[in-house]
Amino acid sequence: MSRKIVVILTVAILVAIALVWFVSRGGRAINETPSDSAPQQGWNLPNAARPYKGATIRLIGEDYPPLQAIDKMKPDFERATGIKVEIERYEAEAVLQKVGFDLNSKTGRYDLIIQIYFDMGRMVTQNQLHPLADYLENPKLHDPSFDPDRDLFPVWRSMGWYGGKQYGYPMMVLTMYTWYRRDLFDDPQEKATFKNKYGYDLGPPETWKQYRDIAEFFTRPNQGLYGTLVQGKKHIALWQEYLNFLYSFGGSVMDTKDPSTYGPIGINSPEAVKATEYYKSLLKYSPPDSLNFTWDDALALMQQGKVAECLMWTDSTYALEDPKQSKVAGKMGYAMMPKGDAGIVHQIGGQSYYIPTTSKNPEAAYLFIEWMLRPENQIRQQKLGGASPRKATYQDPDVVRLPWTSVSINALEHTHPAMLYTVPESMQIGETIELAISDVLADRKPVKEGLDWAAVQINKLTNGKAALRYPTSAH
Amino acid sequence: MLRHNYWKPTMLTPVLAFLALIFLGPFLYMVWLSLTDLSFASAEHNGNFIGLSNYVRALWGDGIFLASIGRSALFTVLCVLPQAVVGIALAEFLHSSPFSHKILSPLLAVPALLPSVIVGLYWRILLQGEFGLLSHYASKIGLPFATGILSNPRLVLLSVAMVDFWQWAPFVTLVLLAARSSQKRAPLEAAWLDGASQLRSFFDITLPGLLPAILAISVIRAIDSFKEFDKVFILTGGGPGTASEFSSVYIWRQAFRNWEFGYGAALCVLVYLFIYLVTQIGLKWSHLAESQ
Repeated sequence: MSRKIVVILTVAILVAIALVWFVSRGGRAINETPSDSAPQQGWNLPNAARPYKGATIRLIGEDYPPLQAIDKMKPDFERATGIKVEIERYEAEAVLQKVGFDLNSKTGRYDLIIQIYFDMGRMVTQNQLHPLADYLENPKLHDPSFDPDRDLFPVWRSMGWYGGKQYGYPMMVLTMYTWYRRDLFDDPQEKATFKNKYGYDLGPPETWKQYRDIAEFFTRPNQGLYGTLVQGKKHIALWQEYLNFLYSFGGSVMDTKDPSTYGPIGINSPEAVKATEYYKSLLKYSPPDSLNFTWDDALALMQQGKVAECLMWTDSTYALEDPKQSKVAGKMGYAMMPKGDAGIVHQIGGQSYYIPTTSKNPEAAYLFIEWMLRPENQIRQQKLGGASPRKATYQDPDVVRLPWTSVSINALEHTHPAMLYTVPESMQIGETIELAISDVLADRKPVKEGLDWAAVQINKLTNGKAALRYPTSAH
Repeated sequence: MLRHNYWKPTMLTPVLAFLALIFLGPFLYMVWLSLTDLSFASAEHNGNFIGLSNYVRALWGDGIFLASIGRSALFTVLCVLPQAVVGIALAEFLHSSPFSHKILSPLLAVPALLPSVIVGLYWRILLQGEFGLLSHYASKIGLPFATGILSNPRLVLLSVAMVDFWQWAPFVTLVLLAARSSQKRAPLEAAWLDGASQLRSFFDITLPGLLPAILAISVIRAIDSFKEFDKVFILTGGGPGTASEFSSVYIWRQAFRNWEFGYGAALCVLVYLFIYLVTQIGLKWSHLAESQ
């Protein structure tokens, strides 16, 4: 009897062991989606992630569609790797604060940060960012099928490199372009009236003169319609919108082609004065409270159909085309930036993935970045509201069909390489521009005086590394 | 008796130590920071001792800071004066009308209970150009500047003061109402018997009696208004230009946008000293009023 029990128990144990082995193989087969097992050189994600199984990486970034998309996609990564991903989403300013406090105090709360790339130089010079070469050159971590230089838009180097070293990967590449009310622009009566008044056909503006003519034409406050809008609040949105005009008219903040180097200050050049005067002239055709608008207000006004044309960012376009949120969904057109003296110049921007030196799980964080940058994940993120840095994303038929895709991609071919610089003082320079332009728009300073003030401040901020090129009035 | 006195300081020691740790510690650290060049924007400025350089820079080389102090002071006046005047009038009205007193008193506390951030957001929506509810209807009835109330540099301080009034005038009224209710009725009745009018007796008897409470609440509100941050940050961000950039917003900009912690700490100390000085003067007046 006792022998029988021993035999039954032995068989049961053997069967249980076999079952566990089978299920564990089967489980891996289920989790290991084709994209997780790159056949080249035997690298696959589950194997690469095995040493970090059970680890948790905490990520922080701005709470808007691209990060919300990551939040929706992370369970797939967690299933494939056993690495848990916690995401903290906040308003843009709050992210800057929280990241700043975490990195400066060396608390190490965040393993991965998604941060505007023009703050990169400051973080690098403070030794707050981990160089990524250690991971990129590690065959156990790096997916050999991913070649950043081949797969990403060239702008990735501006967004991820500083001082000859790589510190980040772009999470999204944004451009600004012209939004216009296609329904109004295509209206035969509007077209006829416009041609009669201005002597040329109404259409997406190709020059800044046309842009202003159209703004003037559609400014009808009694109908609750304005020609354009200015994101005039003293806010990061003002700085970034203004750069479109500055560079398109031939001006610059610093005359340099490399965003991580200083150059002679061009913010008070004659071209900059012209650009600023033009920018200010648009206030006449903007809603009365434009000096208190950020990009959020601009988007809300466009969604309500109150404005005929404006300059806006890729990542806001989804909300504009969402019929649940927008009265003008399906009625919008998208066009390249109007041409100025320096040609067509689009403002670019975006946020990058960075791994802080205080990260507790840098390798796991790196694996997550590369996983997010995979072609299939980039397409998925794009459809959920991203602005993919990966070229192949824009060959996907669903992405190609989005009405703004071609413009947002063409815009990348018409940017200035150093519109948004990554020198350590970038944020302070931006603040200075915000303040100067805000003062000018509010008639608190004449244009030249405001720009001279900004030039002197930038010179001081950079300890003279950015030299004054144009004479300034005393400040 | 002696033994009893011996235990008093002993019992207080933990509380005093706790307070020192929580309040004095960070303050002393801030004072120390103000003597350094600590900046997280520049690798060269890693907390070296630079003596009083930050103070010299603030007082003799930073016109924007000094202007922001002046702006904060002006804003304080714009807040405190109307709130005190309306508070006195309302307190007198509610005191003389028990029915209104009963109905309105609980409501008066509501705005003060709301977080300033919420108040800021709420008013930003109401005053959002011609699309905000209030500004829209104000422009419909022809009020000038109604649609640019938060973006007109000449109006912006008044606009923010108006929002502050909405939040705090009811609270000032409550405090003064409490003081008014505690006043004895006999002197007033004596004055009336002597033929004094209501107005005369208010100015000669009621108001002097309220003076200590008026000064106390004015000092509290002045301190609060001088360091106003939340509402103005949400309503205007300190703009247009620097039109509504109070010292608190400017210090925030230096410390948390420009990461100049050393300089930001020096500005904080200067603002603290300024408020301390003004408060001492206010309290002196308050004591004088009380003694009279």
